[in-house]
Amino acid sequence: MMQSAPFNYRRIIIWIGRLVLAGIFIYAGYAKITMGRSPRPPLGVALGFFEMQVSSYQILSRVASRFVAHTLPFAEIALGLLLLVGWQLRIWATLITLIIGGFFASVVRAYAMGLQINCGCFAKPEPLDGMTVLRDGALLLLAVLMTVFAFIEARKPHPWSAATPEQST
Amino acid sequence: MEESVNRRLPLVSASLLTLITCGTLLLAAPPDQKSQTKATTAKKAAAPASTEAPTVSTATITVNGVPDIDPTKAFGSKTAPVVVEIYSDFQCPACKQLFLNTTQKVMDNYVSTGKVYLVHRDFPLPMHAYSRVAASYSRAAAHIGKCEPVEQALFQNQEKWEANGDVKGTVAGVLSPAEMKKVQALVDAKTLEPLIEKDKQLGQTLPVTQTPTSVFHSKGQNYPYAGTLSYDVLKDFLDQLVAQK
Repeated sequence: MMQSAPFNYRRIIIWIGRLVLAGIFIYAGYAKITMGRSPRPPLGVALGFFEMQVSSYQILSRVASRFVAHTLPFAEIALGLLLLVGWQLRIWATLITLIIGGFFASVVRAYAMGLQINCGCFAKPEPLDGMTVLRDGALLLLAVLMTVFAFIEARKPHPWSAATPEQST
Repeated sequence: MEESVNRRLPLVSASLLTLITCGTLLLAAPPDQKSQTKATTAKKAAAPASTEAPTVSTATITVNGVPDIDPTKAFGSKTAPVVVEIYSDFQCPACKQLFLNTTQKVMDNYVSTGKVYLVHRDFPLPMHAYSRVAASYSRAAAHIGKCEPVEQALFQNQEKWEANGDVKGTVAGVLSPAEMKKVQALVDAKTLEPLIEKDKQLGQTLPVTQTPTSVFHSKGQNYPYAGTLSYDVLKDFLDQLVAQK
């Protein structure tokens, strides 16, 4: 007989992480492609604009900036959907955590260098400041917790899984 | 005898009183207008005629839907498919970097070929003590056709004049004495201040939150970008905008 799931803070955080991070990733990818406009500008213009924002961090080479600019928005949407669906959660949660970690490191570096640039995270022009650092730090923390807890919970049987024959008797 | 003296005394007193009153009134009256005008005229005649501010037009134009453009601070063909506005502050280091490393190349490769109409907008920031003065001199120089050399001089020598406030000396270094007199007259007369204020207001409605901020206009859309830009990356974006049908 199935039992109701006991209170499990790890699973709650996993759910919160999945919903919040998936939503942010999907919106961020969509915003980069459409630039928040309707009708959206030509894809080349939108990705070209995003490439300018990526290169403004002064981390990647021109080729790498172009690669990131042309792939990241689509990757964000795909990863967000996969996280939302929950299929192979540990893999996508790990990947998202690494990506957010990369964003956070870039933002901290740019902030420390005093670069007067846009965050480039969403469609709306957003100066990179202390709030950006705090926000990305909070998202990274959530992503790390979600991923770690996903691995921990994966080792245990699901609370709603059917009882084993030994438990039934 | 005594009677005649007594009779004349009031008359003499009244006359004296009248004289004193008239004299006081004459001394207290404002100077004669005619004589003042003469003095002014004389003063004008003595000084060189070029201290008077030259007559300049403060009319603005609209290009591709972008309003309030000062044509003396804009470059390129008005039929260009892309209009780029650059809001900058002469005392801003990032603006200097953009101007010296990127804007010049855009001028050579896109403005001169009719692809981009480039507009310089002044956005002096309050924390920069001399940026407003620099903007005034730059604007005045633009109105006598010397925009580029003065902007170049101001950005190239930014560290010098921001340390000692000698904007005038920096500008004078690239202008002839006659040109400098015209520029100085325009700055002193504050004729062009409304144009700088207009640029500032336009930036605030965008809103411009930092300098430099570039706004790209193409096919009825505008794309504001804050921060400095490398030419290599900007080039690709401009090509995309120009290629739009």
